[in-house]
Amino acid sequence: MTTITADNAPAGHEHLQEYDHGADHKPSFFARWFMSTNHKDIGTLYLIFAIFAGVVGGAISGLMRIELNQPGIQHLVLWSQFLGEEGSLTQAKHLWNVLVTAHGLIMVFFMVMPAMIGGFGNWFVPIMIGAPDMAFPRMNNVSFWLLVPAFILLLGSTFVPGGLGNGAGTGWTVYAPLSTAGSAGPAVDMAILALHLAGASSILGAINFITTIFNMRAPGMTINKMPLFVWSVLVTAFLLLLALPVLAAAITMLLTDRNFGTTFFDAAGGGDPILYQHLFWFFGHPEVYIMILPGFGMVSQIISTFSKKPIFGYLGMAYAMVAIGVVGFVVWAHHMFTTGLSVNLKMYFTAATMVIAVPTGIKIFSWIATMWGGSLTFKTPMMWAIGFIFMFTVGGVTGVVLANGGVDTYMQDTYYVVAHFHYVLSLGAVFSLFAGFYYWFPKMSGKMYNEFLGQLHFWVFFIGVNVLFFPMHFLGQQGMPRRYPDYADAYAHWNQIASTWGYSIMLAGMLIFFVNLIWSLAAGRKAAANPWGEGATTLEWTLSSPPPFHQFEQLPKIA
Amino acid sequence: MPATAALGAVTAPLPAAAGGAPETTVSPAATASDAAQANAPGADAAPGYANDPFRLKPVDGVGQPTPGGIDFQPQVTDNGAYAYWMSNSILLPLITVISLLVLGLLLWVMFRYRAAANPVPSKTSHNTFIEILWTLIPVFILLAIAYPSLSLLAAQYKPAPKDAVTIKVTGYQWYWGYEYPDNGIPEIISKMLPPEEAAKMGEPRQLAVDNRMVVPVGKTVKLLITGSDVIHSFAVPALWTKLDAVPGRLNETTFKINKPGVYYGQCSELCGVDHGFMPIAVEALPQAQFDAWVARQGGHRAGAKDLAKPDVPAETAPSGEAAATAVGDDHANNSGERAAPATAQ
Amino acid sequence: MTPQLRTAAIFGAMTISMVGVGYASVPLYNMFCRVTGFNGTTGRADEAQAAEVPVYVDKTISVRFDSNVDRDLPWEFRPEHPTDTVSLGARDMAIFIAKNNGSEPITGTASFNVTPVTAGRYFKKIQCFCFTEQTIAAGEQVRMPVLYFVDPKLLDDPDTRDIEEITLSYTFHRTKNGDTEG
Repeated sequence: MTTITADNAPAGHEHLQEYDHGADHKPSFFARWFMSTNHKDIGTLYLIFAIFAGVVGGAISGLMRIELNQPGIQHLVLWSQFLGEEGSLTQAKHLWNVLVTAHGLIMVFFMVMPAMIGGFGNWFVPIMIGAPDMAFPRMNNVSFWLLVPAFILLLGSTFVPGGLGNGAGTGWTVYAPLSTAGSAGPAVDMAILALHLAGASSILGAINFITTIFNMRAPGMTINKMPLFVWSVLVTAFLLLLALPVLAAAITMLLTDRNFGTTFFDAAGGGDPILYQHLFWFFGHPEVYIMILPGFGMVSQIISTFSKKPIFGYLGMAYAMVAIGVVGFVVWAHHMFTTGLSVNLKMYFTAATMVIAVPTGIKIFSWIATMWGGSLTFKTPMMWAIGFIFMFTVGGVTGVVLANGGVDTYMQDTYYVVAHFHYVLSLGAVFSLFAGFYYWFPKMSGKMYNEFLGQLHFWVFFIGVNVLFFPMHFLGQQGMPRRYPDYADAYAHWNQIASTWGYSIMLAGMLIFFVNLIWSLAAGRKAAANPWGEGATTLEWTLSSPPPFHQFEQLPKIA
Repeated sequence: MPATAALGAVTAPLPAAAGGAPETTVSPAATASDAAQANAPGADAAPGYANDPFRLKPVDGVGQPTPGGIDFQPQVTDNGAYAYWMSNSILLPLITVISLLVLGLLLWVMFRYRAAANPVPSKTSHNTFIEILWTLIPVFILLAIAYPSLSLLAAQYKPAPKDAVTIKVTGYQWYWGYEYPDNGIPEIISKMLPPEEAAKMGEPRQLAVDNRMVVPVGKTVKLLITGSDVIHSFAVPALWTKLDAVPGRLNETTFKINKPGVYYGQCSELCGVDHGFMPIAVEALPQAQFDAWVARQGGHRAGAKDLAKPDVPAETAPSGEAAATAVGDDHANNSGERAAPATAQ
Repeated sequence: MTPQLRTAAIFGAMTISMVGVGYASVPLYNMFCRVTGFNGTTGRADEAQAAEVPVYVDKTISVRFDSNVDRDLPWEFRPEHPTDTVSLGARDMAIFIAKNNGSEPITGTASFNVTPVTAGRYFKKIQCFCFTEQTIAAGEQVRMPVLYFVDPKLLDDPDTRDIEEITLSYTFHRTKNGDTEG
């Protein structure tokens, strides 16, 4: 692994005070947080934003689980009245679709992506490559502040008409013609604009990351010495650049179909609604890797740190991510297996999709091999990382089942799919987010989190999400379709377990997280520059905790 | 349609002809009592389905979910059985073994290499042999499952024979329409039964419909599926069948049911507020009973009318200009009609 | 230009070109469908091409005709005969009958495809009412011909040689942006 000689790295605690004195002059509160050009401050803003969005999205999933606790429609009428409607049954059912849509969009565009790329990417990519900041600090600020109006637009759409009730009830995929001819009113337009803004934010961020990583690495930090987290953000940035513009084009065409009489996706004018699905999933499949690749990177850093070993098969790990990114662009139609594809296309997309299992397997086994022969300590971040490996494996293997076009005929749009993508996202991406959060919390805040609460959070959350999502496999195999506010009585058993037990336990886990967060910020023990010991070899651990406002005024040299 | 009139049209005796599947035969007692209830004073406006003495009763655990169930619904088609085998005998054991392997390795590593047991970490970071191994083994596993996977697809896409029973399925916001073009049966509208009606009929809430799609057993059924407004998806788990109903285009799928029964399904593409309230019910009957059903709908056996119709022999099809003339002649012969210009390129 | 700006410019250009790819996909997709018969898109042939196709008198295939009307179009629209049996390579004409039940002339356009979708490339239309917009006066009934043949190359393709019946489906829509004068 790399040897680092950073001139401004603290040799020990006694040097920190002198050092801080010179580099830590901060702007006033308003200038610091609203006109920020500092990658660490912007990263913090992103994390706060993501936590807020996660609370909103998680609350929406709570509403859905409460409604699904029993067969029948119990609460939606009341909630629709609460949102200012008359509360007719139709409006109540529409509200269900709005909740489904909002939960998906918020979790994807306003929680996972901002946290992973905006939050941890901003904080640690520049530090890990020995750069003083991002390449374009002002653009970085624009990226963040685009997200805020985007989120406001999306939340605001809930209060304007979107068909037979208020809000956009199209599903996060916004399929035409439901999203065009099928949803009158401004709500869907607002949701689409929200996606435009969030997409623009991510594209600017991606250009910023690519430029930073290509041009601002410290002397000696060659591409093949970059920490895997940096690799993962680099691959993610490329996926964003290639995928998001296609989404932007597709949803712009939706907007013009809705408002300006074009017929891109309307058979009446020679368009094809299936084309929208092709465009959406050409974006949408890389998008799922956008949500998981930075998680791969974080887990790699954490496994290596707490095994006190360099990552096993570094190059294989890096190129596996590149391979996943590349193959991720040629498998999109497996989301469209029931649209009437020809048999040859289904065979191709079946085969191509299964290929992704190979680089993913390489990563899983390389993490285990990294731990093999190591000297393992099971601090909270390590627990989350190990939990990630197992849960992501479970989500990954059900993906292999779904990849089979002939089998997917049964599974498509059932709860089996819901279970699958929550295992890779809610148990995969979110586990890696918590892993990264506990791993870097001491670095970002300068305070240690409470280890007991961290472990408790892990175990409670781990049990909760498994009780919540594992029964969804059963519901899917029994045939329960997605996006249903009410279901046949035979589905009641597992729905009730998921709602009553799963969601509640998961919620308890989240409460422990927030207690820990607040307690640690207020009263946490002061964190050392490197609280994790010899296993933590990347550059951020050579800086004080928290790092100085401007780091690396003299660039570190990597030998 | 009055039940008595329908009885007269039945050519095959009921319910003995149900084909050796006693659990799915019509129970005359039950239906009779239902009909009696429906005909009770105050219920004289009972809908047709409630008076239908031939309406098949669903069977618990078949064609519908089982309370607390975890497995796929029992399959009643050969392709469904193949897919079920593929899922439960190949994929499920495989993914279970892989998941347990990863879990076992993780637990072993966590135990064996905990800091207390292994204070000095090794510095190994490469092992070309094992890296090649864990690349190639998954490749071989995937190749091994590719064969049954692709042959399953091929079986599902086997074109329907010419004599398949063809049903045109149209998805509407928010109900289904079933038309039998070869039997001369115009579109039958199929809507979800309200919960109390479903209970009265002894059918599952959220799945029961008024008019079912009726198909024969043992014969290939070809569905031609389209959507009227937005995209819907026609899905019946027990038939391992799901295909989108896309407005402006037609999709085609086939199935051949082995066993009489009622098989429920639900719309499987988000289509607006009542997406969750437009179920599907397929009633599979032995051929004779199917024919009787067709007759009760005022239809005829497939091909019966076709034989009578004068057909233009393919070989004598007119060329472009002749076509226009022919159409023009038609126009002359049919007052009130004109021919649209067909555009040659 | 600093190296940073150059990198950003390169990748900014890449982003913009991907937006272009998104829009270009619309015509490219249409072209792709027409050329390959993707999604059951039918092919077109002119008289000369049709004349060169050999006729397999003893190899017949059933052709089914399917008709749909968009919900906002007050038309009746149906094939004269639901099915027909044709020899491979032989030209055949099918008649569809449309009637405008509305109170004013309406212009409609038909979208179409065949199933099984793999048969699209072998289903060739020589003339079709679907190539142009159709205007029907209020209360008028119109007979609309489609002249087509099934290319015998269908027999050489393992994906299509077992097909016994091809369904040709039309859906009439109210023409968007079309003036009712046609």
